[in-house]
Amino acid sequence: MAAASVVATGVVAAALLWVGGYDPLAAARAAARGAFGGRDAILSITLVRAIPLVLTGLAVALAFLAGTWNIGAEGQLYAGAVAGVWVGLEAGRLPAWALVPLLLAAAMVAGALWASVPILMKLRLGVGEVITSLLMSFVAVNLAAYMVHGPLQEPRGVFPQTAAIADAARLPMLVPGTRLHVGAVLAIALAVALWWLLRETRIGFQVRAVGASRTAAEIAGRIDSRRVTLGAFLASGALAGLAGGVQVAGVTYALYEGLSPGWGYTAIAVALLAGLHPLGVLVTGLLFGALDAGAAAMQRDAGVPAVWAMGVQALVILAVLALGRAQRHAEAELTGV
Amino acid sequence: MTSVLARLKGVERRFGSVQALAGADLEVRAGEVHAVLGENGAGKSTLLRVVGGMLRPDTGLLEIAGEPALLASPRDAWARGVGLVHQHFMLVPAFTVLENLALGRRGWRGRRTRDDRGLIEDATRLMDRTGLVVPLDALVEQLSVGHKQRVEILRTLLREPSVIALDEPTAALAPAETGALFALLRQLAGEGRGVVLVAHKIDEVLGVADRVTVLRKGRTVLCEPRERVDAGTLVAAMVGRDAPSRSLEDAPPGPTRPGARARGERVAWLDAVVVRDDSGRVSVDRASLEVHRGEIVGVASIEGSGQRELALVLSGRRDPAAGAATISAGVGFVPQDRTTEALIGEFDLVENVALALHDDPRVASRLRIDWREARALAQDVIARFGVVAPGVDVPAAELSGGNQQRLVVGRELLVASDLLVAENPARGLDVAATAFVHHELRRLTSDASGPGVVLVSNDLDEALALSDRLFVMSRGRLLPVPDAQRTREGVGTLMLGGGAGIDAEGRGAAGAAHA
Repeated sequence: MAAASVVATGVVAAALLWVGGYDPLAAARAAARGAFGGRDAILSITLVRAIPLVLTGLAVALAFLAGTWNIGAEGQLYAGAVAGVWVGLEAGRLPAWALVPLLLAAAMVAGALWASVPILMKLRLGVGEVITSLLMSFVAVNLAAYMVHGPLQEPRGVFPQTAAIADAARLPMLVPGTRLHVGAVLAIALAVALWWLLRETRIGFQVRAVGASRTAAEIAGRIDSRRVTLGAFLASGALAGLAGGVQVAGVTYALYEGLSPGWGYTAIAVALLAGLHPLGVLVTGLLFGALDAGAAAMQRDAGVPAVWAMGVQALVILAVLALGRAQRHAEAELTGV
Repeated sequence: MTSVLARLKGVERRFGSVQALAGADLEVRAGEVHAVLGENGAGKSTLLRVVGGMLRPDTGLLEIAGEPALLASPRDAWARGVGLVHQHFMLVPAFTVLENLALGRRGWRGRRTRDDRGLIEDATRLMDRTGLVVPLDALVEQLSVGHKQRVEILRTLLREPSVIALDEPTAALAPAETGALFALLRQLAGEGRGVVLVAHKIDEVLGVADRVTVLRKGRTVLCEPRERVDAGTLVAAMVGRDAPSRSLEDAPPGPTRPGARARGERVAWLDAVVVRDDSGRVSVDRASLEVHRGEIVGVASIEGSGQRELALVLSGRRDPAAGAATISAGVGFVPQDRTTEALIGEFDLVENVALALHDDPRVASRLRIDWREARALAQDVIARFGVVAPGVDVPAAELSGGNQQRLVVGRELLVASDLLVAENPARGLDVAATAFVHHELRRLTSDASGPGVVLVSNDLDEALALSDRLFVMSRGRLLPVPDAQRTREGVGTLMLGGGAGIDAEGRGAAGAAHA
């Protein structure tokens, strides 16, 4: 199935590029080289770009599994980035062993706080969280913009960004000489932890039960579904916030506008493509990281504008979703369900 | 000689394996209020939907104004002057009253309704004439149930139907609103229209109707003028005098149930419990009940009498709004709807067993669920309760209804060390599965060390056959059934809100309605 979708996507993408007047082969070669062409492409570009996608992908998967629609991972990521940078600037004199965890914890708390607004509005007032979590993202993006133009702007007041965070606040590199930071280990560990939690623990089972059927969870399982929903949504926000903290502590060391190219939204595709499976998110996060790296290389080396590259990305999502659906449909026909 | 506005003869209609109508007749005359009575599932609503053009009958004759009519849609019914007021309102919540009225209007072409002078004038005149006053610019979602119904009736009347049919219009109304509605129905009949009223409360029907038709199992079994019937004849017609349903006779003989057995310790105690539904209406009104080990306490009722809320309180799923409920810890609950309330279709059988046991020390520690133990329990349930399944790893949705219910009953018995609350546990099951469920309930309570069982049932035969003590839930009140009244007719009368003095009450309501 995955192979078929890759082939189908390749064909359509090539046709698209050819219609646009670009050399599909050169573009494909550039994309492949950009994503996987050597140690640097893999370790410094693809993997580094996959980290925030995996973290936000886990955030979205957790919320969706619990039956709530967290569309606002982007905003929670920005909230986490703002809080993380603030800690990195203000608490710069702390030693690294204290500062890094503090920064990441602050990012998670900020993400959870940002997520608390839509979920409390849902539980208290019955307002749909799809719209509110999305709207909260616009607020967060603008809040970050305000911060880098105002309160947190670098001391000279020239560039719309913060000063660099203290050295002690930065995540160590995983492989010397590359840009791959320990955030990668964190992302993998969290994916495994989330998988274990959902599979083996009571609370994980409760989350899945509420997500699969709120009514049955309440009546047959005597589960307090509101509490479970609240907890899962806040944890989802914390994961997305962590993505922002990891990004500023591991890659940019500063906050600026456009820190995220929309990871929080791509995360929805990452999570859905993985079938909401935490370990699957590792794979799809990596896939989108590679697509991202490949698209950048396509633009740089083959002269294909970014919009075309993004179109190809969208095609991949569509192809996989459509084929997945077709497969389920076929299975249903066969088993007569 | 009054003219016949609509006539149905020998109408049959089947839904899958369910024969909803099996030879139903109905005749509506100009100037009459014609009540249609029947137990749950007797086919009342189906019959009405045939009249209203929402359902096509499989066979049978339908005449409107003396001509054979083939109604393909509600639009066809409208064209012939038949208007249907639905039980569940068909209104657009986000629209204003006026916009909802416009939706049902003949020749409406989507003009800006706010400026539709003709509609506003017609609606205002109709409200004056009928006394059904509703603010035209209010949003429907903000209206009370009674006002929503007014809108639904106004919308129907705006089209000046010659036949107006109402499906259980009093179900959601307060007594005063019911009186006003009945007065309106009499007024409409007085204008020469035919009014069809589906109801299940006998005293209401006796108060307002000119003629009564009774349906039983999809068949018309009685059609008489009001003055030729009383509560007794109607109940007898509704519940029938046929033998109890086969399943109970086929069931393996349970242990003998001596009348004055020693009961076990008390496992549930309700003291003047009041429960309100989501809209704040009282659905259980000061119910008191004790349940002991080793007995089956039956609660017979018709749908919507508060038996649902009573079951939720007894099973510890809901706290009462007032009064005290003391329930033992080991409570099993077999809810009415197994596909949405008891099981998670996409979860496998192990997970579904764990659903009821995820806080039970046999399967769960504080943090983790012991899936090996859960699997063993699931396999045990399957083996002991004869669940036909290819294994415990299949999704519950792939089991048949009967096997799903065996799984649910088996699972809840794992939990029900003190009390089992079963709500229509045999609904929708075939004979064998029904016999199995009944046998399990009997076996469970065969001695005083077993759990107590509360059987909430809409099935009179089931309640009568299994209960050691029998109660009736009627309009939120929990009433014990005296031994002398433990018959289909006796319980039926109690269930339908009747009892001693029903006739006087009925007449009284009629007087109010006519005034």
